[in-house]
Amino acid sequence: MAIFRSAVPGLGIVKGMAVTLRRFYEPKATIKYPEMPPDVATKFRGRLQLLYDEYGALKCETCFQCAQACPIECIDMGGMDTKGRFHVHWGPPETYGERREESALRRSGRTVPDQVYEHFATFDISTVDEILERYDHDPKHMLPILEATQAAFGYLPVAAIKRISERTGAWYAFVYGTATFYSHLRFEPPTADGKPVGVAARRPTDDGYVAALGASLGGRRQ
Amino acid sequence: MTATLLPTPKDWPAILLDRAGAKDPTDLDEAVKAGAFEGLRRAIRELGPEATIAEVEAAGLRGRGGAGHPTARKWRAAAGTEARERYVVANGYGADPAAGTDRALVEANPYAVVEGAAIAAFAIGAEQAYLSVRASDTEAVRRLEAAVAEATSRSFVGDDALGSGRRIEVEVRPVQGAYMLGEETVLLKALDGKRGQPEQRPPHPATRGFRGAPTVVQNVQTLAAVPWIIRNGAGTFAKVGLGGAPGTILVDVRGLEASGIAEVPLGTPLESIVGLGGKPGAGRRIKAVVVGGPTGGILPPSELKTPYTFDDLRAAGAHIGSGSVVVADDRACIVDLARLLTRYAADEACGKTIPCRIGLRRLAEIGERLTTGTSRGGDLGLLEDLASDVVGSALCDHERLATLPLMSGLRYFRDEVDAHYLRGECPAGVCRPIRLAAGAARAGASA
Ligand SMILES: Cc1cc2nc3c(=O)[nH]c(=O)nc-3n(C[C@H](O)[C@H](O)[C@H](O)COP(=O)(O)O)c2cc1C
Ligand code: SF4
Ligand code: FES
Repeated sequence: MAIFRSAVPGLGIVKGMAVTLRRFYEPKATIKYPEMPPDVATKFRGRLQLLYDEYGALKCETCFQCAQACPIECIDMGGMDTKGRFHVHWGPPETYGERREESALRRSGRTVPDQVYEHFATFDISTVDEILERYDHDPKHMLPILEATQAAFGYLPVAAIKRISERTGAWYAFVYGTATFYSHLRFEPPTADGKPVGVAARRPTDDGYVAALGASLGGRRQ
Repeated sequence: MTATLLPTPKDWPAILLDRAGAKDPTDLDEAVKAGAFEGLRRAIRELGPEATIAEVEAAGLRGRGGAGHPTARKWRAAAGTEARERYVVANGYGADPAAGTDRALVEANPYAVVEGAAIAAFAIGAEQAYLSVRASDTEAVRRLEAAVAEATSRSFVGDDALGSGRRIEVEVRPVQGAYMLGEETVLLKALDGKRGQPEQRPPHPATRGFRGAPTVVQNVQTLAAVPWIIRNGAGTFAKVGLGGAPGTILVDVRGLEASGIAEVPLGTPLESIVGLGGKPGAGRRIKAVVVGGPTGGILPPSELKTPYTFDDLRAAGAHIGSGSVVVADDRACIVDLARLLTRYAADEACGKTIPCRIGLRRLAEIGERLTTGTSRGGDLGLLEDLASDVVGSALCDHERLATLPLMSGLRYFRDEVDAHYLRGECPAGVCRPIRLAAGAARAGASA
C-alpha cells in the first residue's frame, strides 16, 4: 500500500491543497485586538516578560513607571520588595535578577558592584525621622522630603528611601521612581567638591544646553 | 543676578514691567503707592467674582504660558465646577533654560503676581494659591517670598483678605529638576510630591487638577496682567496690541549685539522684536530666527514680517513658547541647530508615552544622521511621516511642538537640508566631517 501511494505522481500536492482548502473555509482565528477583546478567563492577568533589543541588552531601563503604576505593587525593580527582602514578587525571577545587576544599578548611577546591597549596612535613621516629622510623614510632601534628605546626606541613600517608604506608607517603587525622575536628586555620594558622579553626572544640564546653543549659533558643533 | 532689560520704543506700553525701575520691588508701601492691590480691592468690593471674570473676558486676556488659552474661560470652568475646594497655581517655572522672561517678571514685579493670583482665587472661589518658581532662581524666590510675607502680614491676602471675610492663602513653592515641570499637569504632580509626567486631557486642570480639585494654572505673566486690567479697565487693555490677542508679553532676545528681556505688545512684527537686539556682528547677516525656545520653529528672514501672536506664529511653523527669540547669523547651520534642539527636547521628554519616549528619540537620530553624513535613503520621508505620527498621537504638547525645529528647517531651508542629505555637504561648514575626500576616511581625517 505504502509503495502504491508514493508511486502516484502529484498526490502530495493534492493532499496539501486539500488542507489549504479545508482551512480556507474554517472560521477565522485572528481577532482584531485591541478593538475586539480576546476571549480569556476573567482572572487571566497575562505574564510579564522583559524583552531584549537587537544587541541582546534588556530593553527595560528601570524607569519604574510600571512599578509605580501597578496597583498591587507586584513589580519591583532590583529584586527588593517593600519589606526589604531580596525577593521578587512576580515574573520570572531570573529575569528580574538581571535587572538588579544591570539597568537598575546603571540608572541609579552605580557602577555594578559584586556586593550589590552593601549600601544598606549601618545608617543613622534619626536624621531621616526628623525630616519626616517636619513634613508630617505625608507623602504629598515627597519632593521636599527627598530634597531635605539629600541635603543631609549629599545624596539619597537606599536605606533612607526605604525608611521614607516605611514611614510615609508610600511604596518603595513610588519613592524611588519619583526620585529618579528629578535631575537634581541623586543616588550616589558626590565627589569631595560636590560634583555629581555616575548617571547624575551624565545627565544633560541647563548650562550644557545653553552652551551648546551658543556654540551652534557661532558655527561650532559640540 | 537680575535680568537685563532691553530699551523699547516710547509708545510701547508697560503693563507687566511697569515697576521695573523700582529701587526695591519688595517694598510694599512703594508698590501700593503705584497701585498694587487696588485691583484686588476693586474685585472684592465692587465687582464680585462673576463680574471680575467678565472683566478679564472683555479684556481678551490669553494665557502667556505659550498656548494662549483664553484666561476667562478657564476661570469660568473652575468656578462652575462643583467642588469643596479649588486652587490657583501660578506657573513661574520658566522651563526654557535660554529664556529668563518669567524670572525677570517675578523679580521686577512680585506684587503683581501675588495680587493676580489673589484675584484669580477670589474669582473662582479658591482659598489657596501656590506660586511656583524655579528653585535655582534664588533672587526670584527670595523676592516673591518677601512679597507674600509682606502682603499676608498686612492682610491683603491671608485669613481675611482685605477684610472681605474670604480666606485667600498664598504660598511660594519652589520646584526644580526637569524641563517638563513647566507643563501644567506636570507642575501639579510635582506640587503633590509625584513623578513629573503629564496627564491626559480632558479633564482639564480647570475642572480636575491639583488633588482632583478644580485648579486654574496660569503663567505668571498672565496673572500679573490681571490687576492692571481690573485697575485700568478691560477696554484700555483690549486696545493694546492686536484685536485677537491684546496686551503685552515678555520676550527674551538673544544672538545679536544686545541680549535681554523686553515687554512687547502682542502683534508686533517679529522684525521689530529682533531689532531690539540691534544688529548682527560686523559682516554678518541674519540667517534665521528660532522662535519659541527648545521646541521653537526656525524661521527665515522672509518670515520676519510675521506678527508676534499665538496664531500667526503657529501658522508660520513656530510658537510663542517661552518668549525666546534667538537670532542666528550666517555662521550657523540650520540642520545642526535643529538637531541640537530636537536632541534637547528628546532628552527632556518624560518617557510616559511612546511618541515621547521613542518618537522624539528617533527624530533626534534622523537629525544626527543628517549632521554626520550618515543619512539613510528615505530619511527625509521618514522624518515627515514620523513627525506627523508624533503630532497625531502625542499625549502632551511637548511632543507635538518638538517636531517644529526639524519640520520648520525642512520647510524653509530645504536647500541646506538637501545639501546634507543628498550630497553630504554642510554649506555653513559646521557639520564636519561630512564630505570625505577620497581616502580621507582611511587616513583618519575624520576628527
Ligand atoms: C513642555 C511644556 C513646557 C511648558 N513650560 C511652561 C513654562 O515654563 N511656563 C509656563 O507658564 N507655561 C509652560 N507651559 C504651558 C503650561 O502647560 C500651561 O499651558 C500654562 O502654564 C497655562 O498658563 P496660561 O494659560 O496663563 O498660559 C509649558 C507647556 C509644555 C507642553
Ligand atoms: S521599568 Fe520602565 S522600561 Fe522597565 S519594564 Fe517597567 S515600564 Fe518598562
Ligand atoms: S513629554 Fe512625555 S508625554 Fe509629553
